Amino acid sequence: MTTIQINGKDVEVDPKQPLIHALHTNGCDVPMYCYHPGLSPVGSCRICQVEVQQGEGPSRVVVSCRTPVADGMRVFPDSEKAHDVRRECLEFLLKNHPLDCPICDKAGECDLQDYSFAEGQGEGRSVEPRRKLEKRKSLGDVIVLDEERCILCSRCVRFMEEVPKTPQLTVADLGARSVIATFMDRPLTGKYQGNLADVCPVGALTLSAFRFQARVWNLTKTTGTCGECSRGCSVTTEVLRGGELKRFRPRYNADVNTWWMCDVGRFAIEEHSLEGRLVGALVRGSRELEPADPFDAIDRAADVFTAPGHPVVIASPWLTVEEGERLRDLAEALGSEVHFLSPPANDLADDLLHTGDPCPNRRGLEGLGFSPIDAEAALELLSGATSALICGERIGALLGEGLGELPEKLRLVVLDTMPLDVPAVRAELGVPSSIERTGTWINVDGHAGKLGIARSAPPGVAPLVQTLDDLVARLSTTATAGGER
Amino acid sequence: MVIVKRKELSFWERLYLPEVVRGLSVTMRAIFRRKITRQYPEEPLATNEVTRGQPRLAVNEDDTIRCVSCGLCEIACPAYAITIDGQETDRFIEREPERFDIDMLRCILCGFCEEACPKDAIFMSEELELADFSREALVYDIEKLKRPISALQRRSDYVYKLNDRWHSSSSTS
Amino acid sequence: MPVEAVTLADTTTKELPLLVLWLFKAGLIYGGLLGTAALMTLAERKVSAWIQYRIGPNRVGPWGLLQPLADGVKFIFKEEVVPDGANPLMFRLAPILSAVPAMLAIAVIPFAGEVKIGDWSFGTLSIANLDISVLYVGALTGLSVYGVILGGWSSNSKYSLLGGLRASAQMISYELTLLLAVLSVVLMNGSLDLRAIAADQASTGMWNAIVQPVAFVLFVIAMFAETNRHPFDFAECEPELVGGFHTEYSSMKFALFFLGEYCAMVVMACLATTFFLGGGALPFIAELAWYVELPVFCAKASSFLFLFLWVRWTLPRFRYDQLMTLGWQVMLPLALVNLFVTGAVVALGWHPLLMPLLAIAVLVPFALLFGRPRPRSESLTHEGAAG
Repeated sequence: MTTIQINGKDVEVDPKQPLIHALHTNGCDVPMYCYHPGLSPVGSCRICQVEVQQGEGPSRVVVSCRTPVADGMRVFPDSEKAHDVRRECLEFLLKNHPLDCPICDKAGECDLQDYSFAEGQGEGRSVEPRRKLEKRKSLGDVIVLDEERCILCSRCVRFMEEVPKTPQLTVADLGARSVIATFMDRPLTGKYQGNLADVCPVGALTLSAFRFQARVWNLTKTTGTCGECSRGCSVTTEVLRGGELKRFRPRYNADVNTWWMCDVGRFAIEEHSLEGRLVGALVRGSRELEPADPFDAIDRAADVFTAPGHPVVIASPWLTVEEGERLRDLAEALGSEVHFLSPPANDLADDLLHTGDPCPNRRGLEGLGFSPIDAEAALELLSGATSALICGERIGALLGEGLGELPEKLRLVVLDTMPLDVPAVRAELGVPSSIERTGTWINVDGHAGKLGIARSAPPGVAPLVQTLDDLVARLSTTATAGGER
Repeated sequence: MVIVKRKELSFWERLYLPEVVRGLSVTMRAIFRRKITRQYPEEPLATNEVTRGQPRLAVNEDDTIRCVSCGLCEIACPAYAITIDGQETDRFIEREPERFDIDMLRCILCGFCEEACPKDAIFMSEELELADFSREALVYDIEKLKRPISALQRRSDYVYKLNDRWHSSSSTS
Repeated sequence: MPVEAVTLADTTTKELPLLVLWLFKAGLIYGGLLGTAALMTLAERKVSAWIQYRIGPNRVGPWGLLQPLADGVKFIFKEEVVPDGANPLMFRLAPILSAVPAMLAIAVIPFAGEVKIGDWSFGTLSIANLDISVLYVGALTGLSVYGVILGGWSSNSKYSLLGGLRASAQMISYELTLLLAVLSVVLMNGSLDLRAIAADQASTGMWNAIVQPVAFVLFVIAMFAETNRHPFDFAECEPELVGGFHTEYSSMKFALFFLGEYCAMVVMACLATTFFLGGGALPFIAELAWYVELPVFCAKASSFLFLFLWVRWTLPRFRYDQLMTLGWQVMLPLALVNLFVTGAVVALGWHPLLMPLLAIAVLVPFALLFGRPRPRSESLTHEGAAG
């Protein structure tokens, strides 16, 4: 460890990290645009300058992101001199940056906006017109570039080089004509483009899917875990006014995903759409499935399971550990084995984050004694049974078309996010999706990922844990009543 | 404790009837006074540029809405009356409201939205009347809120004047 | 001075059958009464508006003239509520008892003398020709208290009960004064027949308002109390008793109470006109045709009606102890003294114009003697007891 002095206080800092890291970890809010802890420092924006005195010599102003820490260094991040220099940098950056925060999508989470508000001057001094550049340059399907807003920090260039290691962006042209560009304006490729919008400190790179959709301060942010592969990246779930899911953003987790996430998980928005969701419960009437009180549906499910025979129990891979435990106990009481549906590995795997395994809680469920089973085998198992429970979000979609061909004598109970209208179904209850419930997933490396409630589940939809508890309670009362009889 | 001393009444006052007649003369004179009733629907309240009526969205001469759905009025609104969803547009301003709802039942006509608006897109109009048969109908959507800027000219001139005064006073201080 | 009985079998004039004549006159007069009562509700609101610098109802019909009709329609369509625990029979009877006596009294009012159109004679312009009509009127005024107290009692509400009790006590107290004042008039004109009283004043030209000023003032004051009008509206009194005796009433039953109140006002105005302003007479003109007498009578009665409204929007309500003090300690003695003086003048055959002078000569010492302000402490205890 190296000992340096910040504002006259001795602190121990990591010698492998630049000075700005030492300052940030010791409570100094030094601004930064080009520096990103996950990327190599270049010192191009120069907003992170601080005053440093080494030994007895005169103090100098240095760029803290490019300065290694050294023993005996005395740092004054908030000195008058440092502030003056930073203010001048800021004015220079704002020379060409359009001041249209009301329109800009970054407003509210923009570093430039924040520091301008804190340190910037009220009016610009320059009389020359600003650069006129392309406002809406599409860089592929994911990213839209606004060249005017760009402050040429080159974070995006470095990200493409260093993280997915597919260099595609560069700072083209020279001097005042510099812009961010791809070779021959080719669209960006790869699964990690979405991160560009996150690393961009201003509103230059925006997600075309999220562009101008919502103001970021209207988004309710909840911590959660991505469920699109067994990596289980930590994410922030952002929901507009408690309803529509607007975006996932990666959340720093040194052990799992650091600062990044792949576009597969980032754009898994449709999977959590509220449209067409199973609200409340359905039970089989004389012919059709009819809306019912959830308690009646539980009664109907209990009737199915009290009949002789061992029901087949197949769980969704999105089941949390807590839900899996309840389901296993229920299956044990019914004398059944537990399976979880394990779709085959897809071809999305890469060496960065995506594992290619679409089961976010494989390790958790296997640890609970669930055995993996593919859709074909599951349907075969179901067609031979007299009663069955399929349980968890998206289970109907994973089992696919084959459900419709199941014999009508099979009495099927479904706990799913979406309604499932096949002849075998006797009772059906809604379950919350993974952004509407709490729980734990165990990822491919054994890390626990917590789910968070970003919005409330649709009306009449109870947490799966509670539904299973109700079902167990109902079965035990039925069993007692049967014994007395 | 406060002791209020009652006025001693004179003989004529104690006779009561002369005082009654005096009172009657007061009311009789009142009958012939000029009436102050305002015949409301026919004689609406006079408005001027200071009138803070219901907020309305300004529409330019070329039928484009000024609002860029920045959401500042939504945040400034102390009654949470405004709801805005944005969308992208091909026009220069890039962003325009897809949905702009003001719940007129919540609106307290404070004028914060007008003050917050960086685009001079929302003004407190001179429209004061608000009546309907359902709550839903009083949540005004963008079509109900649009007004040509000419209809809001008086207020917008006044707001510019106020802003100028504010700026000049702040720069001198 | 007795008036010659109207002979129906006159040889030179043609007449309608008696029953048809009565029905015709009854229809006419009751239509007028109810119409006036309805218009009074409008007038009340108009006058109150004018006094408060307002315009008043002007939306229904020209100048708001159809407002009473709109009010009536509204009353009919209101829900009729009978409170839990109310005495259903009495509760329904009370509004009728309040309205009917007031209406009945109009039957003996002589609006004008003999009506003749061409060869046809229709008799005097009053429904009934009763020789003791003063007694009849007194009896009916006494009945009107029943509506109020029954309404108050049968509602099973403390506010109604208190309102009814207060009102009945007040009406009984002031009825004494009222009738004593009328008695002076009866002594003066020597008849119990309203027609005769009016005719006597018309023939001598000395209206009782001039020769009986004390009785006139007492009658007017007691008239306000008898009709439960301001400043004596103890039956209603919103700030103290919600709505008084009619708190629990709604719809047409409530409207009936109102109708009764306004009918009573009309009747009282007509009585005051007959007793003190010579009926349809004009000063210095001995004989008037009926078509002059009727408008003159109506004008006089209307001025009394206006006085009702005018006073209502001028004076504040009395306190209950003040009301009783005024009634029993001031007005009743005054009425008795006035009656005594009148009797003396009549018995001694003095000129009637001596009456006002005598009254003043007797009353001023009386007032100076008994009109001293009561000591403060006494009045305080009195207030405490009343409150």
